[in-house]
Amino acid sequence: MSYPSKLSAIIELFSGLPDAEKRETLIAYADQAKSQEPREGEAFDLEDIRKDEECTDTVAIYLRLDESGGSHFRVTLGPQVQTLTRAMSSILCKGLDGVSPSEILEIPADFVPKIVGAELVRLRSQTVYYLLTRIKGVAKVWLQRQRGASLENDR
Amino acid sequence: MSIDSNYVHPEVLVTTEWVEDHLKDSDLRIIESNEDVLLYDMGHLPGAVHIDWQRDLQDHTVRDYIQPEAFAALCSRNGITPETTCVFYGDKSNWWSCYALWVFRLFGHEKVKVMDGGRDKWIKEGRPLTREVPKYPATQYPVPPKRRDSEIRAFFDDALAQSKAKQPLIDVRSPGEFKGLVTHMPEYPQEGVLRGGHIPGAHSIPWKEAVNPDATFKSALELKKIYQTDLGLKPEDEIIAYCRIGERSSHTWFVLTYLLGFDNVRNYDGSWTEWGNRVGAPIEKSL
Repeated sequence: MSYPSKLSAIIELFSGLPDAEKRETLIAYADQAKSQEPREGEAFDLEDIRKDEECTDTVAIYLRLDESGGSHFRVTLGPQVQTLTRAMSSILCKGLDGVSPSEILEIPADFVPKIVGAELVRLRSQTVYYLLTRIKGVAKVWLQRQRGASLENDR
Repeated sequence: MSIDSNYVHPEVLVTTEWVEDHLKDSDLRIIESNEDVLLYDMGHLPGAVHIDWQRDLQDHTVRDYIQPEAFAALCSRNGITPETTCVFYGDKSNWWSCYALWVFRLFGHEKVKVMDGGRDKWIKEGRPLTREVPKYPATQYPVPPKRRDSEIRAFFDDALAQSKAKQPLIDVRSPGEFKGLVTHMPEYPQEGVLRGGHIPGAHSIPWKEAVNPDATFKSALELKKIYQTDLGLKPEDEIIAYCRIGERSSHTWFVLTYLLGFDNVRNYDGSWTEWGNRVGAPIEKSL
């Protein structure tokens, strides 16, 4: 499967970088994680705020759907969340912007090592996959709710 | 806050305030060691170098630590000599700084200290951070004659013998891991262990018992109560500590060795990721 175009552009950017520059670019994305937090007055179609066994602090995912069915994510991260996870939150908020929930569910996770690089995907940094799993979880719940609502309407 | 003078070796702990006052000392090297692989890059103590527990301290082809030649090269490129006092600090309540310190002791580096409270305390107190990576002139660190594996490190066979002889084995993992209810740390992904439980006869004293909420070490009196009064350990006991991969048990090794002054403590770095998977290794579960 091909990746959504914005995510594809980010993957391409990282793929061409040597490890040291990958690292610097990841730090730049981690620095932008704060800017992916919800803004005042924003309303969301789904919110998933929790700390679970796969992450060291609370991660909150907020989903808003636009009129054409495109997803827009916001993410807040607790202070103990790892830097790589912070970087991935920025990458995914940007890379998945406008993609439909059903398309998000189809995205394979194999792009993660392409972005992060082999040196950094290792023991105790596996939470790098965590954000994608949580975002897919939110997309899945939203789709299930939509299906439930349409079944209800059909009765 | 000052360092409790009742520790057996209070000189191995320094406060954040002390470190800030000594950042520019030429005979000192501040070393950050973290679990979070990019945390140093996000900001570190001015002048601090980064020693990564995997990249710098572990052999990449054998599950083992680097050899003496590589240790000497690591010290040389970080401007460390045998006379340099290395002050370790890091994330996760100093797990990885204690781990790095323990590896430095494996190679016989004498002058070591830990910054009490670690990175989080430094940041909470509003002390300075920088992203500037320091460059120090390379030194000629002599290649240590050997790694002191037999003195402060335990292997599978040592832990098995300790278990059979009913000698003290301290399991510093969380209670759920010790009981065999989970095969990973709370808040962490599974790290590839087939079985849950603990080494037969091991005592459960989670590493966290030794620290305050701000990640500083508990007082000598409190530590004595935990390890000596309640658990019944004696300073002359031969003790092996373990966790999953040896980092949390480095923390307990540090507490027992330096703060309580026990002479014969070894860290079993193979820990549960070796024992839990090892064919023929006995385990116990408790509910």
